[in-house]
Amino acid sequence: MAKKEIIEHYTSLCRMCDNRCGINVYVENGRIIDITGLREHKWNHGRICVKGRLGVDQVNAPDRILKPLKRVGSRWEEIDLEQAYDEIAVKIKKLQATWGKRAMSIWKGEALGFLTQEELARRFTHAIGSPNYFSNDSQCYVGRWIGYALVTGNWATQDFINTRCAVIWGSNPPYSQPNLTQAILGAKEKGAKIIVIDIRLSAIARQADEFVQILPGTDGALALGIARQLIEDDNISHKFISGYTHGFEEYAEYVAAFTPDRVEKETGIPADTVVHIAREIGNRRPKISIYAGNGLEHHENGINNIRAIACLDGLLGNLDELGGNFIAEKPDLRSLTLYREKPLRHLQPIGADRFPVLYDFRKECHTMTGMDTILTGKPYPLKGMILSGGNPALTNPNSRKVVKALKALELFVVRELFMTETAKLADYVLPAASYLEHSELHFHPIHQIIGISRQIVTFENCDYDYIFYKKLAARMGVEKYFPWKDSEELTRWMLQDTGITIDDLLAHPEGLEYKPRRYQKYKDNDLLSTPSGKFEFVSDYLKNYGYSYLPEYIPPTYITRPNPEYPYVLSTGARKVFYTHGRNRNFKCCKTAIPNPDIEIHPIDAKNLGVSTGDIVTVTSTVGSVDIPVKVVHSSHILPGVTQITHGWKESNVNLVTHDDRNDPIDGFPLLKSVEIKIKPKVDTSDI
Amino acid sequence: MRIIIIGNSAAGLGGLEAFRETDRDSSVTVITRESKQPYSRVLLPYYLRKKVPYENLFIRDKTYYSRLNAKCVTGEVLQLQPEQQTILLEDGSKLSYDRLLIATGSSPVTPPIPGLSGNDIFHLWSLQDAADLMVHFQKGKDVVILGSGFVSLQGAWAALSRGLNVSIIELMDRIMPSALDESTAGILTDQIRKSGINLRLGTVTEQVEQTDNGKLLLHFRDGNSLITDFIIVGTGVQPNISFIRGCGINIDAGIVVDRQMRSNLPGIYAAGDVAQVPSALGGDPVIHALWPTAVETGRIAGSCMAGEKVSYQGSLNMNVTRMFNTTVASMGKFIAAENRECWTDKSLPEDQSLKIMLEEDVPVGAVCIGSSDLVSTLGMLRPLIRGKVSLRGKPEMLKAILAKNIAQYHRAFGKEY
Amino acid sequence: MRFITMDVTKCVVCRNCEYACSFRQAGDFDRDHSNIRVEYYDDVKICLPQTCMHCDNAWCLEICPAAAIIRNETTGAIEIISERCVGCEMCILACPFGNIHFDKINLVSRKCNLCEGEPNCVSFCISGALQYIEAENSYKNNRIIFQRFIDKLSQNNNK
Repeated sequence: MAKKEIIEHYTSLCRMCDNRCGINVYVENGRIIDITGLREHKWNHGRICVKGRLGVDQVNAPDRILKPLKRVGSRWEEIDLEQAYDEIAVKIKKLQATWGKRAMSIWKGEALGFLTQEELARRFTHAIGSPNYFSNDSQCYVGRWIGYALVTGNWATQDFINTRCAVIWGSNPPYSQPNLTQAILGAKEKGAKIIVIDIRLSAIARQADEFVQILPGTDGALALGIARQLIEDDNISHKFISGYTHGFEEYAEYVAAFTPDRVEKETGIPADTVVHIAREIGNRRPKISIYAGNGLEHHENGINNIRAIACLDGLLGNLDELGGNFIAEKPDLRSLTLYREKPLRHLQPIGADRFPVLYDFRKECHTMTGMDTILTGKPYPLKGMILSGGNPALTNPNSRKVVKALKALELFVVRELFMTETAKLADYVLPAASYLEHSELHFHPIHQIIGISRQIVTFENCDYDYIFYKKLAARMGVEKYFPWKDSEELTRWMLQDTGITIDDLLAHPEGLEYKPRRYQKYKDNDLLSTPSGKFEFVSDYLKNYGYSYLPEYIPPTYITRPNPEYPYVLSTGARKVFYTHGRNRNFKCCKTAIPNPDIEIHPIDAKNLGVSTGDIVTVTSTVGSVDIPVKVVHSSHILPGVTQITHGWKESNVNLVTHDDRNDPIDGFPLLKSVEIKIKPKVDTSDI
Repeated sequence: MRIIIIGNSAAGLGGLEAFRETDRDSSVTVITRESKQPYSRVLLPYYLRKKVPYENLFIRDKTYYSRLNAKCVTGEVLQLQPEQQTILLEDGSKLSYDRLLIATGSSPVTPPIPGLSGNDIFHLWSLQDAADLMVHFQKGKDVVILGSGFVSLQGAWAALSRGLNVSIIELMDRIMPSALDESTAGILTDQIRKSGINLRLGTVTEQVEQTDNGKLLLHFRDGNSLITDFIIVGTGVQPNISFIRGCGINIDAGIVVDRQMRSNLPGIYAAGDVAQVPSALGGDPVIHALWPTAVETGRIAGSCMAGEKVSYQGSLNMNVTRMFNTTVASMGKFIAAENRECWTDKSLPEDQSLKIMLEEDVPVGAVCIGSSDLVSTLGMLRPLIRGKVSLRGKPEMLKAILAKNIAQYHRAFGKEY
Repeated sequence: MRFITMDVTKCVVCRNCEYACSFRQAGDFDRDHSNIRVEYYDDVKICLPQTCMHCDNAWCLEICPAAAIIRNETTGAIEIISERCVGCEMCILACPFGNIHFDKINLVSRKCNLCEGEPNCVSFCISGALQYIEAENSYKNNRIIFQRFIDKLSQNNNK
């Protein structure tokens, strides 16, 4: 790129995944032509992944939706944007007048923005008098957040850079959080041990000092076994336990049963490995960073498994330590939500009765219950939804039901960049603005830095989130909640209490430190944010709801009640390098490299099934079936009997076989990672 | 010091360049009987195929000799007079040397077939040959190629690509005996025939006859005959050593040299196709009339003439070429023999093949046909052949062994080692 | 001179470098177009990124019969001039690292050219395995160092 000097250059932050790496964006004649890593940024140090570069493809994609569309019968008609807003507002008002305010809902996806987007969606929902804010978060991220928050009051951030032992548990950062890899392997270079616990030999597992291959859903047993060993070896922080924890005695008594032999039986991990890794971890106290990944939260006992892992922090004393699990402080941003001004819990947010913990902690409605509500009208009618940048038709469990439900809505508005499987079900599809078309605040907790992403280009008709909500609010008579002219004014308001200005942020593309890092903050006046103010090995809060007091281990159903008809276990959702959930499948270059979905199976299973790579099989659960090509992986990659399918492919949508009604009882997360299935080679009838 | 280098192809150029890396001052004279501006014989078939333009045949620019502070003269060397340390040129002039590099290369041979001379009968060896052939490379013309070595097949491919009707006549019952084993040659034979070439194996040409209408008629021993517009003779080469016979220099098949490319006579070095050099695999000295060996031996000679203490590891024969939409390559001992295990890569499709020959677990050679990735594998195998690295009975682990070795190398890279 | 170093203890074979290189060469994520190749060897558990070492006295450069391989005096990169390359594949056979590959569409050899001194693969390496650093000594000796490893391997394996 020798011609960069005649090209406009902007610094911003990437939103092709959650990492939010610093980027340079190059614009020529109003068109974004290149994105590169921003050298100065503290998170990514000039490196980005190809997914980040795909931002160029996304913003310029020929198949982008650039005109508002309205469904007329079975076809789409282009409609003037303001006209569309008028019509939608009228329909929402009518719908709310007929069925009640709470019959309308908002769903936030991940494809467009970040924190501000989420808060705006929450704000708008309450502004129009509905408690029903939905998002992808009722089946992603929040399970771990709650699991940790129940124990420590927070979900700490891993200080991998300074750690002596990184435990990557059920996560594959090179694909899911690319630039975290730099930090982890940087620590390895400085002598840290890398321990990877996973059902698959993931990318990060290739560089692990210890790769521990575990049976799906049995992680709690391993965590409790490690705890038992740490206690037996007296490899624990007595100071932390005696000073800052709650329920250690009961917890210690409970974990005593998880001997290495028992753990081997539960998890498939050799007993001496359990002892060994407990010592590898314990001997590096307190500089131990444990990251619990997405792999842990899609199980029927997910929250308790995560609690069991979180409890290790109490033994190791690594909480809020340099090189440990660091409790980052947040910037003092003003919140956009209206939970104080307009608390609407009495209106029965959907799922809040069934999964009160989910609502208590995150004010999230439960999307899976939402689908049932739409279809049954119980406990009350849910008739309308505005969904921004999400694709539940592919990414929520039991897709057939999702499609049926979304089709049944009286008003379904989708704001999108592309005609997704979900957008296809809408009454109105409105062009959305990508992350390069609006400005938003971001922060990186580990460095306690704040930054701003920039509006670099604009497209006609593509309103960004704030403008969308503001325009609609005006038509709904609730404009008082959206008084700011544009995102700049909004951002200025949000920053008001921080002493930081937009200009400060623009002057610091590398990220502006909003507070210096402090450690062991629980020792001072700010206790842990748990009910007891202490680290909770046991939870009275959960007990009061009738849930497990201890981080109880309940083995997965496929082990306790194996169903001979469905002999294989399916895990879903392993990431691919440049796909983020259902996104990026429409880019040609991605198709070249990874053209189709597949089911990963062990060579022994392939032999038993008589299939080889490329053969099509039918995968069936009690929910449904999907046809998919086989990929026979190396015998070390996956355990015999265990299989994996990545989600987000419309060609073979794995969520046709996943359960929306088998949930973790505490947070309502669906069972996505140990689904009982059968596999049948698809008979090619053309040969017969 | 006065240096004379006879020849300005791979060995001569390698010699000059390596010499100048150490010695900038001594006078150097290069004698050539062809173009002063060095060109590459290897490229001639590509030129005929029109893959490269004429000017790209030249592999050093016009300022080359002046940049290297060397003089280049055109002439044929008639005689070498070692006692006087002089050489006698055709024009009667005499040149004195302190050190002499004989890099005169080789010339194609013509088999003793009656009628195989005169109009429309060519070799594909020199720049002049290529220029002559270019006139005949016209769509629809018939060409017969005698012989099926590398150059012949390259010529055949070029002719085919240009739309000529091509026949290849091979004396033996298989092609490329010096570069491929039988089964690999078989795969290539299929490719050649599939491409539309009339390939006749085991065919002895008894006579060539000029017909009245200006064509050539080949008579074969089996009674068949073939009419053609022109013939390319590609039946091997021999070293250009006639001018030194009888001067006391030790000649076997070529000039016998040691690991410093020194002949038995003081100050006289030889490299390239004329030199019979130590083999990388031990045994008798060999002539490998191959471009890489010429470059290597030329450079060794040049360095030694300049006083450097380097020693040739020995020539490892290696061949590679892409033609008929596939690639063939071989090196070392690539033919199965007693006491030699042949490992075959069974994962390859039918039209591809990779074989590695092992003697007591140590790879000694390999041969492949198919994708270029196989050539790459041969390239990585080469250090193991040269280094006599045992594969410990696990040739299927070759890639892993190579990976492990290169990984260790990377670990040390950037650090003092 | 600056070099791309490849840390085999950091590479996770995510292939970001391959895709980035291929994208730069051909506007697509096609491994065949990439001048860096990454492989995970299950049997020996090795992650191996491989791209040109830009050897001193590069053998590919020395033996190219078309004089199509040169050293870029600015970046130090060993480069293939594709207009001169005839596609004989001699360089592919010559490279002991397997770092040259064949472009099946244009019928020429391809290899890393250090992207005019700003290698794309390094910018897209999210593990930090690839670095673009000054490494003068290694560059001077890399053929010799490699030979030492061969010798060591020979000693070890032939015991």
